[in-house]
Amino acid sequence: MADLSLDLCGVHFKNPVIAASGTFGFGREYDELYDISALGGISVKGLCLGGRMGNPPSRLTETPGGMLNCVGLQNPGIESFIEHDLPWLLEKDVNVIANFFGTSIDSYCAAAEAFANTGVHMLEMNISCPNVHDGGVAFGVKPESVYEITRAVKAHSRQPLIVKLTPNVSDITENALAAQEAGADAISLINTLTGIAVDVHRRRMILSNNTGGLSGPAVRPVALRMVWQCAQKVRIPIIGLGGIETGEDAAAFMLCGAKAVQVGTANFTDPFACPRIVKELDAYCDAQGIGNPQEIVGTLRSN
Amino acid sequence: MKDIDAKVLSSDMLAEGLIRIILYAPDIAAQAKPGQFIHMLVPDNAHVLRRPISLMAMDAHAGTLTLAIQPKGRGTQILCAMKPGDSVKCLGPLGTGFDGGDAKTIYFVGGGVGVAPICGAMDAFATETSCAFFGFRTRNHVYGMTQAPCRVVAVSDDGSIGEKALVTKPLLEEIEKKRPDLIMACGPTPMLAAVQKIAVERDIPCQLSLEERMGCGIGACLGCNVKITCPDGSWCYKRVCKDGPVFDAKEVAFGG
Repeated sequence: MADLSLDLCGVHFKNPVIAASGTFGFGREYDELYDISALGGISVKGLCLGGRMGNPPSRLTETPGGMLNCVGLQNPGIESFIEHDLPWLLEKDVNVIANFFGTSIDSYCAAAEAFANTGVHMLEMNISCPNVHDGGVAFGVKPESVYEITRAVKAHSRQPLIVKLTPNVSDITENALAAQEAGADAISLINTLTGIAVDVHRRRMILSNNTGGLSGPAVRPVALRMVWQCAQKVRIPIIGLGGIETGEDAAAFMLCGAKAVQVGTANFTDPFACPRIVKELDAYCDAQGIGNPQEIVGTLRSN
Repeated sequence: MKDIDAKVLSSDMLAEGLIRIILYAPDIAAQAKPGQFIHMLVPDNAHVLRRPISLMAMDAHAGTLTLAIQPKGRGTQILCAMKPGDSVKCLGPLGTGFDGGDAKTIYFVGGGVGVAPICGAMDAFATETSCAFFGFRTRNHVYGMTQAPCRVVAVSDDGSIGEKALVTKPLLEEIEKKRPDLIMACGPTPMLAAVQKIAVERDIPCQLSLEERMGCGIGACLGCNVKITCPDGSWCYKRVCKDGPVFDAKEVAFGG
């Protein structure tokens, strides 16, 4: 049995496995299958003030080794989450990461501030959603705008601020550095890669939004590369995600430089993926003679 | 709701383009209700999304589930190629089911692969005065008729079985003769929209089972949401996997 615990921006995690935003709701559905306290953290479904309807169907489709989605950030609103879901979630022994977004710098700041007097452990700012037309990724592409929004939101954040980065850029390390310079406490990467799916029989786009975000094992090599590149450049902790399905996948991200990992699409393939990955990471550590997986973070040897 | 390794007991051709699979899944069969579904993992480690498959029959005593699967895409083709003795991960039972309430006369409406969950509903809720209306492409596509617990009227696209008509034609004729207490329907969207119109115009309670591409299958990812009308005229998105797949016909907003 390895000690899987870690300190992430001053927050204690019992293990480095976090359920990724958008795949896990607010944890209630998965808690019917297993006790979600087994996880290090939960990054909740992306929230904004006032809520959002999301996109019409079809919102998702399978692709080779992955899937595309264009859910479009449907959520009941930060106010509703704080009133109806957060009290339940805080009774669980699991860190709550509030994933949030806005449509302007002001609304991003207001969203971050709305969590100030709550028990939320960390904030994760989504400036990388490819599926909405106002806001979202618009703030996440250029390093200057990443810097500007991070700096503004950090001033309104009571909890440690994670900035979630998009891979749909020419050099993700520029955005990672911009987030760090602007005061981000951590970065998480990668959000989904933009793609489309074609129905050749109807000669139409399959997704209602035409484009969607690609996730699942298909994106894992790209995600590993980007985490590794960012780890060469930034000092702040990195949370790695993108197609993690097993404990060994999690270890690969940690070797590349991620202190913690998030698991998304794998929850759909196997609803028990998150607790299974915790166990598999433990077994990997035992097999490798590692006392705590933090020992291997960023120790990947290059050729 | 459990995620279990179900065992394939049998696999055979139910009709043209439709495979019947009987699974030994006692934990799910014990809880399952008509109209619910299971989320099946394609047993090749290459498909990240499970396939939602509705239940055609469930036998809690024998511990079995009967499914009718259309081998339409790669995933369902692999599921349909499973042989007796194979094992397949199934999460279920999921979703709401049909609810017969205290209805004495129920009209069941099924189209194509949508006949399968209607068969399950008929087993549970059919009465002597109930009647089913099935629409098939041709007589080669017919199934679910022989062991039906109530009268069945079949129609087809080419007239090779029953009348060459849409299933709503005999349904309307029967409604003219005797108004049912409840309608239950599953099938292609145009059929469901037509049944909805018939039921809502006549103020007949009606339950529609919808289909949508699904992610998690348990209500967390919001990938299968459809447009639902609220009583005050506004609308919202609801989850087919958790809030459905069976919805009150009054609240379904087709074409949204």
